[in-house]
Amino acid sequence: MTNQTDKNTFDAIVVGSGISGGWAAKELTEGGLKTLVLERGRNVEHAKDYTTALKNPWDFKNGTHLTNKELEERPVQSSHCNATDKHFYVKDSEHPYIQTNPFKWIRGYQVGGRSLTWGRQSYRLSEMDFEANKKDGHGVDWPIRYKDLEKWYDYVEEYVGISGSKESLPQLPDGVFLKPIPLNAIEQHLKETVSEKYSDRVLINGRVANLTEATKGRGPCIYRNLCSRGCPFSGYFSSNSSTLLDAHNSGNLTLRANSIVKKVIYDEDKKRAIGVIIIDTITKEEFSYYAKIIFLNASAIATAAILLNSTSPSFPNGLGNSSLQVGHNLMDHIVNNASFGTYEGLKDKYYEGKSPGTIYIPRFQNLNSETKNKKFVRGYGIQGKGERENWQTKSTVGFGKSLKEQLSTPGKWKFFLGGRGETLPNYENKITLDSENKDQWGLPLVKVDFKYGPNEIAMMEQMTKESEEILLNAGFENVGSYRTPPSPGSAVHEMGTARMGHDPKTSVLNKHNQMHDVKNVFITDGSCMTSSGCQNPSLTYMAITARACQYAINQLKSGLL
Amino acid sequence: MNRRTAIGGILGIAGLGIASVSVLKYFKTDIDISKGKLVNYESLISELVDVIIPPTETPGAKSAKVQNFVINYMEECASIKEYTKFFNGLNDLQETCLDSYGIPFEECSDIQKNEQLENLDSGLDSNSMFMKISNKLRGRSFFNILKTLTIEGYCISSVGATQHLAYLPFPGKYEAITTLKTNQKAWATK
Repeated sequence: MTNQTDKNTFDAIVVGSGISGGWAAKELTEGGLKTLVLERGRNVEHAKDYTTALKNPWDFKNGTHLTNKELEERPVQSSHCNATDKHFYVKDSEHPYIQTNPFKWIRGYQVGGRSLTWGRQSYRLSEMDFEANKKDGHGVDWPIRYKDLEKWYDYVEEYVGISGSKESLPQLPDGVFLKPIPLNAIEQHLKETVSEKYSDRVLINGRVANLTEATKGRGPCIYRNLCSRGCPFSGYFSSNSSTLLDAHNSGNLTLRANSIVKKVIYDEDKKRAIGVIIIDTITKEEFSYYAKIIFLNASAIATAAILLNSTSPSFPNGLGNSSLQVGHNLMDHIVNNASFGTYEGLKDKYYEGKSPGTIYIPRFQNLNSETKNKKFVRGYGIQGKGERENWQTKSTVGFGKSLKEQLSTPGKWKFFLGGRGETLPNYENKITLDSENKDQWGLPLVKVDFKYGPNEIAMMEQMTKESEEILLNAGFENVGSYRTPPSPGSAVHEMGTARMGHDPKTSVLNKHNQMHDVKNVFITDGSCMTSSGCQNPSLTYMAITARACQYAINQLKSGLL
Repeated sequence: MNRRTAIGGILGIAGLGIASVSVLKYFKTDIDISKGKLVNYESLISELVDVIIPPTETPGAKSAKVQNFVINYMEECASIKEYTKFFNGLNDLQETCLDSYGIPFEECSDIQKNEQLENLDSGLDSNSMFMKISNKLRGRSFFNILKTLTIEGYCISSVGATQHLAYLPFPGKYEAITTLKTNQKAWATK
């Protein structure tokens, strides 16, 4: 991959190389634009730099456990990583931030970003989601509707490779799918029970970006379920395995790793952004790069931080922030305390290979008048997985020969269910910069100020209750839920900090993801989200990015940018 | 050892939810110790793990080098509180063996070794509600720590994963529903 360059002028600059930055890189370079991709973390080359991918369990000195020293360096990240994939997560000690209330900011500073470690769940938003704000009055109206994004969903799905089944659900549109990852015996049992006992919900095969069939020279998935280490078989979608490689193959990509964007340079005379100032993380030197258009894809919190730090006479509160909405309306999905239960039957059934997928019970609340919930607006879906207990999860009694036998015998079936719910946009949930506290590069620390509101709390209680009830209805025993719900941020779906909208007074981006105030700056990471839906959002970021890139290229070619 | 067992009994009777402050205080009298001491306990730990997972038709924990895993985990990953509990547990056990049989644990007969570990094992399902509350209240017991680490160390070892369990590093396919074969072993990984 192309690296360091003395050239400093490009057609386009993309900030960030994660799931949306990778797409911007691919679309812009394939559209003929000489593009510089800036990544604050180190380079990670596909396959070659997946250093733990082929290791066996015994190759890790302490198994999956982090050492005390590693834990101290990662007080936040440690809930999401372990010894086998920790190198794809930051050390909090090197990249501090301030939490006014507990908020997990899970980060992967490297080429490919969090596309290396994402959960790969890929769902479309529906018309219901795009209309939600307008209908119930929370937040501002989305300036786009499902029909605006539909063909872009098709486009990215066809490239990414999403396994799934067509279900004809209005709240969860079907897409371009590879064959689904099949359900195992207990998952099939739960699916049947849900259909039998409930008229308002169904259980479907989770839609995941794991390649059940080879796609564009990648994959297929070989069912190791070790995705977060990086896949040398390209069995799942990441920027590294696909978009960045194609961007590179176009001949138009320059990738500069170890480059933190300090600010976007705004030219007061031209009334446009002309480039960015970066800090080389290793030498701590500053460099400037220039381009006609700039795509910010640093992830919701980091993109907002760059905007807030990009002050100028025209924009004393941060670039494109005349609305004072930049950094506000931070959302993440609600993740409840997962529920679980064991099942006595189906003891003669097992499976071979490890599924990287899940089951999904799409949203079944507030879809219509029959499913209206009295306690909250919007809704949640439930994700889960069934498996037979093994030594990691099963109860054992005693020691000696009998214990040894217990370990080698497949245990009971066990199911985990966890709700994933919508968070409402709320101006008070925000990120700001703390200029009193700086990081090692002299940049102000990000301060995250986020709390669930009554709607989120009511929904969270309900999703736990429902999950337990579903398991009980399906004959599970020992049904329970973990007591403490994970902190906000745990879904790693932070979004909303530079929202799209019709009105420049109340939103940051227009319907093409252009900044209302600065037309040659585009933002297509999670920042742009006007509402959160309850679906895992990466697929929407990809579709929105591809759409905005095409618009930007056309505008540029028509001399309008 | 006896001191701890006796108090454990009292605590059980007193009701775990409302253990008195004085009892809790008593438990805090274990003074935290510094790490780096377990390297001298390798032979003892080797014997202990081999009683918990003995050689049968497949090798036991000692030949799977589980003692190294236990020591590494304790030295590098365990909290000081657990480390202290584990270290004291080893010494208490050794003391009991010397008191009872006049020889260290390593030299005890199989029957004596089993007897000692039976004394330490509450006999309760490690995932039972009682054990969970008990663990929460006063931390995992010495035996619980030892057993949990032995299971993990063995099942992730090359010997344990490939000989005692079924290890399939590159499945290549996913057969979601299979019929369990007679004596089919559990998969080593999830």
